[in-house]
Amino acid sequence: MGELGTTSTGVPWDGLQGTERHAACLTAARAGNSAALDVLVAELTPLVWHVARGRGLDRGTAEDVVQTVWLSLLKHLDRLEQPRALVGWLITTTRRESHRTWQRRTDHVEFTPDVVEQVPSIEPQPEAVALREERDRQLWAAFGQLSQRCQELLRLTVLAGRAEYRSVAEALHMPHGSIGPTRGRCLTSLRALLDEDGGAR
Amino acid sequence: MEPYDEEQLLRNLDALLDLADPVPADLVERVKFAIEIEDIDVEAARWERSQLAGVRGDSPGTITFYVGDLTVMFNVTRTGESHRIDGWLVPAGEHGVEVRVAEHGSTTTTSDEGGRFVLTEVPRGITQILVRMNGGTPRTVVTPTVVL
Repeated sequence: MGELGTTSTGVPWDGLQGTERHAACLTAARAGNSAALDVLVAELTPLVWHVARGRGLDRGTAEDVVQTVWLSLLKHLDRLEQPRALVGWLITTTRRESHRTWQRRTDHVEFTPDVVEQVPSIEPQPEAVALREERDRQLWAAFGQLSQRCQELLRLTVLAGRAEYRSVAEALHMPHGSIGPTRGRCLTSLRALLDEDGGAR
Repeated sequence: MEPYDEEQLLRNLDALLDLADPVPADLVERVKFAIEIEDIDVEAARWERSQLAGVRGDSPGTITFYVGDLTVMFNVTRTGESHRIDGWLVPAGEHGVEVRVAEHGSTTTTSDEGGRFVLTEVPRGITQILVRMNGGTPRTVVTPTVVL
C-alpha cells in the first residue's frame, strides 16, 4: 500500500546510482529490455567518446569507434560475466578499437600500444574555436600537447570526479579527491606547458 | 593571478572538456539507431574514413567499409530526393544486403554471384548497412551509421 505514494517507475535501475545502476541496466538489457540498453547508451556514451578522443582519434573516427563499441556490446551482452564490470569493459574495448583504427591510419606500421600512448596527439585542437576566453584557449592548447596517455588519463579523471560517473571512479579505483602519482605527473606537465606559454594564468 | 594548483587545474579542465570537445549532439541517437537491429551476433565493420570526409557534403561518391576478409565498396548517386546505391562485395557471392535509414525503414536486396548489388530509391539520412553472408558459417556484418 505504501508503494502507491511513490513515484517509482518500476524499472529495476530506478533510484540506483553508479555501478549498481549500470549493472541493473545490463541485467535488464540481457533479458531483452531495450529501454535499459538505451539508458546505458545515453549515460555512458560520453565515457566511450572521451576514451576514444583521449587516444588521439579525430572526431569523425571517434564517432565510428563509439558505435563499434556499442555494437560489440550487443554481441557480448550475454558473455560479460560480471554486469558490474561493464564500465571497465567499455574502457578496454574502446582502447582496443582505437588502437586498431590507429594502426590502420598509420599505414600498417606496427606500433605497440605503449609507443602510441607516448606520441603527442597528432590532432590539432580545432574545437578551440568554441572557446572565447583566452585562458580557456591556453589551457586547451596545452592539454593538446600532452602525451596521449596523459590526455586520456586526465579526461577519465575529470569524468570520474562527476557525480553521474561514479561507476567510472569505481571501475578505475579512483577514490574521490585522490589524484594519484601518475595523474599528478600529467598535471605537472600541463602546468609546465602553461608556464611556457607566457605565464598568463 | 594565483598559480594553478592541481585541484584547480582539474576543475578548469572539467569545465572546459564539454565546451572544447563536446560529444556530437546526435551521437547518442545514432548509437541507439545503430544497435536497434534484430541480429545480436554481429561483426562491426569499419568505414574507410578518408573517403567519408567528402561524403557529408553534397556529393556522395564511392565509399568502402571492411571487416576481416569482407570488403564492400559502393557508389552513391543522388536521384532527386533519394539515392541509388551500386555496390560490390568481396568475396563475391549471393549475400543479403540491407540498408537501414533512420525514420525510413529498410531496403533489402541480394548481391549476385559476382558480388554486385543495386538499390534504388534509398531515402537520405542516417544510414546503416548490414550484410548477411551465406555459405560456411552465416555472419552478419554491420556498419556504424553515416549520414548519406
